[in-house]
Amino acid sequence: MHALCKGRSWSALLLALSASANAARDNRVDIKFTPRTPEQMSAFYEARGFPAPMVDLLAKQCFITVRVHNTGRDTLWLDLSQWHFSSRGKDIPRYHRNHWLPLWNEMNVPLANQSTFRWTLLPEMLDYQPDESEGGNIILPQVKGPFSLTAVFASGPDRRGPPITLRYDNLRCAEDPS
Amino acid sequence: MKTARRLLLTALLALLMDTAPLQAADSLPKGLRVYAPGPAPVFELTDMDGESFALDTARGRWVFVHFWASWCGPCRKEMPAVQRMAAQMKDDPLLVVMVNTAEDEDTVFSFLGSYAPDMNSLMDRDGQVTEAWQPRGLPATYLVDPQGHIRYQALGGRPWDQDEYLGFLRSLSRKTGTK
Repeated sequence: MHALCKGRSWSALLLALSASANAARDNRVDIKFTPRTPEQMSAFYEARGFPAPMVDLLAKQCFITVRVHNTGRDTLWLDLSQWHFSSRGKDIPRYHRNHWLPLWNEMNVPLANQSTFRWTLLPEMLDYQPDESEGGNIILPQVKGPFSLTAVFASGPDRRGPPITLRYDNLRCAEDPS
Repeated sequence: MKTARRLLLTALLALLMDTAPLQAADSLPKGLRVYAPGPAPVFELTDMDGESFALDTARGRWVFVHFWASWCGPCRKEMPAVQRMAAQMKDDPLLVVMVNTAEDEDTVFSFLGSYAPDMNSLMDRDGQVTEAWQPRGLPATYLVDPQGHIRYQALGGRPWDQDEYLGFLRSLSRKTGTK
């Protein structure tokens, strides 16, 4: 992200880069996770003129930038409703992109900011063609400690191919350096 | 009899013209796919100099419609290739239309100055044109045929200045009709 280079803290950037080593891999799909610190996200949105109440609210959440690459030969179907986050046996609810719209409207957030916000999110659903790579942020409430993700993808042109299940056990929200 | 034969030939020719872009799908450059959702959503936007452009005024030509934003990493990587492609195709009838998604003039001016100083961009100031097109992500490129229908879609950023892409775009731009 361009704004990160102009951000307030290089140490935050380094922290995120070290966290970007997180990756789950199967020979049909490659997923990379990059947890973002609150400071990074604030810097990104502030640099784009987002209203302060919007930035403040987003800074309280856990942002993870996810890039999904279809490394197989079949169509791969992302459906975030089939992604389940959990910590110590308890589900962690992910914020659906529709969660934010009434909040932004209540705050009178300009349409341009709402649009940019939406385009920085990972799509809720997408058919990944072979070799296609698309990414974006997922947003969770702040979670202390490690948590797990079980991600299920459908496959094949009509979604009737064998499902692909990936489990990742050591995700973490990034924290600002103290 | 001659009239009937001529009519048959005309019909066959029309059929060939109609399917020509789809036949090209067999030899599409990597990352391009046939995409036929129907008419491209129309729009009218102004560029960085305040000049207005309406997509429906481009009927009769192929149009390369490219959505982008400065914050998107793949856009930064792809933009110089778009500029080189546009320069190499300046004598071809392909229209290259860039649409920035929801950013302000200062941001766009600064970005293009660094990555593609010869390019101008339309400004989708509130992001609503981009919403109407529903790209898979940013960057997003569509190829719109001379009748105003989306025919191809690029998956992510592409090296548009490489021979296989240039050759494909040139072959398209020389086809003025698809029906």
